[in-house]
Amino acid sequence: MSDDTTPPLPNPDVLTQPFWEACRERRLQVSACEECNHLFLPPGPCCPRCWSTRQTPRVVSGEGRVYSFALYRRTYHPAIPEPYVVALIELDEGPRLISNVVGCAPEEVRVDMRVRVRFEDVDGFTLPRFEPLTMTGGAS
Amino acid sequence: MSRRAVITGVGHTAFGRSTDRSVSELETEAALSAVEDAGVSPSEVDGLLSDPGAMQGVLDGITPHYLRLGAQLGLDPDYTGSEILGGAGSVAVVERAVLAIEAGLCTTCLCIYADSTTSVKSAYRYGRGDDAVYGFFGAVGLHALAARRHMHLYGTKPEQLGEVAIAARAHAARTPHAQKRRPIEMQEYLSSDPIVEPLRKLDCCLVSNGAAAVLVTTEERARDLRRPAVQILGHAQAHSLCTQAAPEHFERLPAARCGPRALGQAGLGPRDVDVALLYDCFTIVVLLQLEDYGFCKRGEAGPFVEGGRIAPGGELPVNPSGGLLAEGYGGGMLHVVEAVRQLRGEAGERQIPEASVALVSGHGLGMNTHATLVLGR
Repeated sequence: MSDDTTPPLPNPDVLTQPFWEACRERRLQVSACEECNHLFLPPGPCCPRCWSTRQTPRVVSGEGRVYSFALYRRTYHPAIPEPYVVALIELDEGPRLISNVVGCAPEEVRVDMRVRVRFEDVDGFTLPRFEPLTMTGGAS
Repeated sequence: MSRRAVITGVGHTAFGRSTDRSVSELETEAALSAVEDAGVSPSEVDGLLSDPGAMQGVLDGITPHYLRLGAQLGLDPDYTGSEILGGAGSVAVVERAVLAIEAGLCTTCLCIYADSTTSVKSAYRYGRGDDAVYGFFGAVGLHALAARRHMHLYGTKPEQLGEVAIAARAHAARTPHAQKRRPIEMQEYLSSDPIVEPLRKLDCCLVSNGAAAVLVTTEERARDLRRPAVQILGHAQAHSLCTQAAPEHFERLPAARCGPRALGQAGLGPRDVDVALLYDCFTIVVLLQLEDYGFCKRGEAGPFVEGGRIAPGGELPVNPSGGLLAEGYGGGMLHVVEAVRQLRGEAGERQIPEASVALVSGHGLGMNTHATLVLGR
């Protein structure tokens, strides 16, 4: 029955743990290759461009744009009821990540819309979701 | 002695939502029908390759699909294996059979796709690792990203996706074994339930239980068989494994890389293709492939499919048996089967006159894998 009420949660491993810890502290971080300066997500054991294993975390602005999005009209998991928007966010610094666009009606989301990270706490984790940049003046 | 590989037999079960029969029974029926179609004895089969669909690791636990399959068919082959390439798996196993035969590893290779999608539904509703926390479930969500991107870049309209769904049903109406034979019109498409916008229910492939098989052997062995051999004119694969980290992942399929290579081996171009069997898990994938294979220019697939161009009687008939959208979810192996029937001139009411070159594609996982076969008479 717990499946009905508990949303899917991250399953951090040794590579992704620092990403989720930074989120808890309201910082969005990517991996920076020390050899070729490539910035990448998701965290991995080596730079996907040059295979160097020397990397450091880099905190990014949390701003970017909606590269594309999908508006779910079906509920796949009872803890995540439709409608909701899954988006591929392209950060200003380059890396992309899958997330949600929140803080506006699903019908208002557009490709290329400017967005900014909004951290939301869910069952002991902090998820980096995104909200429209122009509508955040009064928010937190 | 020629080691050139050819396709000499095809077969499949009925496809549908019925769960009256076990996957094992379905696989066996498909295997038998391909062997009988070719007119070879089961004892000649010395290669066994499989595309287990979503069953791998689900129904079979730690038992590889080929192991269970081989045991039930009583085979001790010289060459075997299963491909885990999602929807590219069936085209890829036929290609692998060609490679194995031409390398002398085996002579007569049975390629089988089987799945029980109604009983392993959860496998198609999976979340992708930590991305599941955002509700990113199912293959439809991934393809919705591609569809939205195409609409944004090129102004592609829902009605143009609808043309693909309507054409599939029109083809299936001429296909006696198709799962959805009732034609649809645009109004029905547009009022179809949204699943993950911009994709509607009628943009999505069917859910089917069934099995299909293709028998590959040497040109020399095929010479005395009763069916005309279908030639392998070209084959290639290309993959995009980084998903969203790959710059063009949701705009262009790896077909843009392996399509020209496969056609180039045949000394052909897209204009030489008489019939295209394009993997059609979602309507958007057909539009992307029309561009990636060079049937039209980038961004022009929407207008290209208007006016019935890919429908029965159109300039480029796509999936004349109805494909995954209407014939049944056959993993991609049914696409190979239909290509063979068209090239042999056995497709009945849906036969494309003088079909002599067929292009068959497979596309899989998170838009990650792609395989192409170019077949000829």
